[in-house]
Amino acid sequence: MKTHILTLTLSFIFCLTARAELKWEQTAVELHPAHGDKQAIGHFKYQNVGKTPVHFKSVHASCGCTAAQSQKDQVGPGEKGEITATFNIGERTGTQIKTVTVETDEAANQKTVLTLKAIIPQELEISPTFVFWKQGEKADPKSITVHAGKDFSVKHIKVSSSSPDFQTKVEETGEGQFKVNVQPNETGRLIASTLTIQAENSPKTFYATARITTAPTAPVAPVAPGQKAPAAPTAPARPPAPTSQTH
Amino acid sequence: MKFSLARQALILAAFSLLPGVGQAIYFRDKISWRSPIPPSEMVSIDQAREWGDSAIWIDARPDDEFARDHVPGAISLNEDRWNELLPEFLAAWSPGKKVVVYCSAQSCDLAREVAERLRKEAQLPDVFVLEGGWEAWQKKNK
Repeated sequence: MKTHILTLTLSFIFCLTARAELKWEQTAVELHPAHGDKQAIGHFKYQNVGKTPVHFKSVHASCGCTAAQSQKDQVGPGEKGEITATFNIGERTGTQIKTVTVETDEAANQKTVLTLKAIIPQELEISPTFVFWKQGEKADPKSITVHAGKDFSVKHIKVSSSSPDFQTKVEETGEGQFKVNVQPNETGRLIASTLTIQAENSPKTFYATARITTAPTAPVAPVAPGQKAPAAPTAPARPPAPTSQTH
Repeated sequence: MKFSLARQALILAAFSLLPGVGQAIYFRDKISWRSPIPPSEMVSIDQAREWGDSAIWIDARPDDEFARDHVPGAISLNEDRWNELLPEFLAAWSPGKKVVVYCSAQSCDLAREVAERLRKEAQLPDVFVLEGGWEAWQKKNK
């Protein structure tokens, strides 16, 4: 019995030492891009601790927003290198987790998943970013909550509506917390507005949308051949974010 | 004899668990334990098709992939140009409509992320991720 346990233990230890030749310094990276950064770059360093060369078969990112690159196709014994994962932030918010799958020709552990976690700072958090009234509904005000993101101090905010059909009013409800009341003048017409929200003394612009929508239960009038159904209005186009800003 | 074999098998099983347990403890703060999309937030192609005009299809892939080809009638909404594209989608949305979001394949994250933003930020109900994504749609429509 003792011999069996010894054999098992030795085979277990042997299995552990004989695993992947490519040794990764880390397979998970957490990044904290600065406010306004366009990209977040993760470096995954490795070393070939085996006795034979390792070839990369593929390096594949989980999302089109992430580009993964290997410095070389072959890693000789003892050689070091890194996989670079470049995550394009775009107009993403909050915590983003992207993965890069690396396939090699190693005898064991041919597939390694590298994880890149980017925590994108958010100056203002807005909820909801969309308020709507059904056509014909009472034109009561609806509220949007705005509060300063973690590590940001916001004393005042500015809110403006792209359409005079909607009125906005800002109330301070606490430190760095605001309530934006939005009210349409009427709900008889299908109208829309882009609400622009900015923290005082900050160039960064946030957006919300207010609109009057078609009522779901209303029967849809059949459209006669050759005629077009009336289209719902689109809120005025939001300007693309300037290069120094991202949303 | 049988008892001895069972005991050895148990010991072997316990040993095989050790590396996994060790890794889970050591990397507990470093690994993202992403849960799969709950089945209630997913929809099959057949089910989504049955919804007909009461569904809006959202293509969460990057612009170039959308421009190459997409589900007929789908609206582009990706996080690269979220602010610009969201109002266009909201103009097509009305209460009671179901939203079907897809990206390239089952394994991609874009559809899940767009669906999550629509649910959390815009607070829209009935937002679903298409099972299998664009890849599955193409297979079904060959």
